[in-house]
Amino acid sequence: MDNTSSSVKIKENTTSSDTVFYNAFSKKITKYGRITLLGAIPLCFLPALYLWFAHGSIPAVGTILTGWFLIASIYGAEYVMTPISYFPILGVSGTYIAFLSGNIANMRVPCAIVAQEAVGTEAGSNEAEVVATLGMCGSIITNLIVTTVAAIGGVWLYNLFPPIVMEALNYVLPSIFGALFALFAIRFPKFGAFGLGIAMFLTGVVKVIPTILLVPICVFSTMAFAAMDYKKKKQA
Amino acid sequence: MSNYLEIANSPWMWVMAIPVVVLTGFQGVLFAKKAIHASKTGAVNLSGEQCRKAFKVGAISAIGPAVSVFIVMIALIAVIGAPMAWLRLSIIGAAPTELTAATMGAKAMGVEFGSPQYNVDTFASSVWTMSLNGIGWLLFCGLFTHKLGGLQDKVAGGDKKLMGLISTAAVLGTSGYLLSGHVLAGGPRLIAGIAAALAMALLEKASTNIPKLKEYNLGIAMIVGMAAAVIIL
Repeated sequence: MDNTSSSVKIKENTTSSDTVFYNAFSKKITKYGRITLLGAIPLCFLPALYLWFAHGSIPAVGTILTGWFLIASIYGAEYVMTPISYFPILGVSGTYIAFLSGNIANMRVPCAIVAQEAVGTEAGSNEAEVVATLGMCGSIITNLIVTTVAAIGGVWLYNLFPPIVMEALNYVLPSIFGALFALFAIRFPKFGAFGLGIAMFLTGVVKVIPTILLVPICVFSTMAFAAMDYKKKKQA
Repeated sequence: MSNYLEIANSPWMWVMAIPVVVLTGFQGVLFAKKAIHASKTGAVNLSGEQCRKAFKVGAISAIGPAVSVFIVMIALIAVIGAPMAWLRLSIIGAAPTELTAATMGAKAMGVEFGSPQYNVDTFASSVWTMSLNGIGWLLFCGLFTHKLGGLQDKVAGGDKKLMGLISTAAVLGTSGYLLSGHVLAGGPRLIAGIAAALAMALLEKASTNIPKLKEYNLGIAMIVGMAAAVIIL
């Protein structure tokens, strides 16, 4: 393995290798990320416009605004808080991917992390970001195939699932999250205990904090705990 | 015009859904190309084989979660038609979010979602509400993502080791939160979480000797978790 020589090379010119990375990857990703996300907005309205022009079905402007107000009062804060909460995991390119194609916690994050594990990248490195991007891109293709199959022949296929499989699929989320948590908690048990502990305390004991604040509090306090722990050890 | 599902499932509604779905796939391919390009130019220390592996692992690991999306999508198809369900679940906004938006759209017209009064006009209102809700994330991330970076860099102050540690802590904070609800729920959800966590810990140990296993760790741990919940139930 030539790992040692390459990592030495990176350390020698950290700033210039980061600039190279920015120009070769981040800059382009930002450009195309903005184009795809903002470009998706008008396309999302095609079905609504079709119903209007072809069938004359358009709610009054006041009705549209009422519906918008009702839904934004539920999810409005999430438009801002979810991207901020997941940014430390997703990074720039991951955020552009995850917030176009959705399925963030249940699919994009696990796929990014498993890809990093399989390739063996160092956490927080530029390599880790590129590998996470590739893992998420792979997961998009799988998701598109499955949703397309579901849209076309889903109802028919649905009846082929044995009841036991349907039952088991109810537990897909705790299984993903348990596995993901364990993957890192066995390496950093102290941070794991803190992360799970604070979440259990806030949701199970304090209970009054709205979900929208819970995620960032849990994420950023665990990050701060790790940073303080590291700095304390470095001083000692 | 009371059977709105006829229109909701009409060929033209499919055509209207295609651009968004295609754009999502296009972004996936484009970003993968940019990532591979970055490794080819030497901007990152990755071989072509490592890039292929990352993509493949992502695609394989998504199968489990995608099957559960498949199941909820069937429920969504029944109420908003296949084309809209296809469009909405190909982009941001999970099934419960879309159902809530569809309900609010109907409510704005003073009609109960799913009631006999729910017709093509109220369906149009639901479609508007779902679309307007979805663009919230697209707009924020489209405009501000590039401004979100920097916090980690600032905290780490160029210390690569600390940077890695903070990234790992972010994953533990997030997955700890996501897991906590299931732990507190107890019963089979707790069992699934524990079983999957134990399986992952064992698989991690085993994969130091069998590196190939790493690609399937998450999938296997998930199946163990789900099976444990169903069996012990």
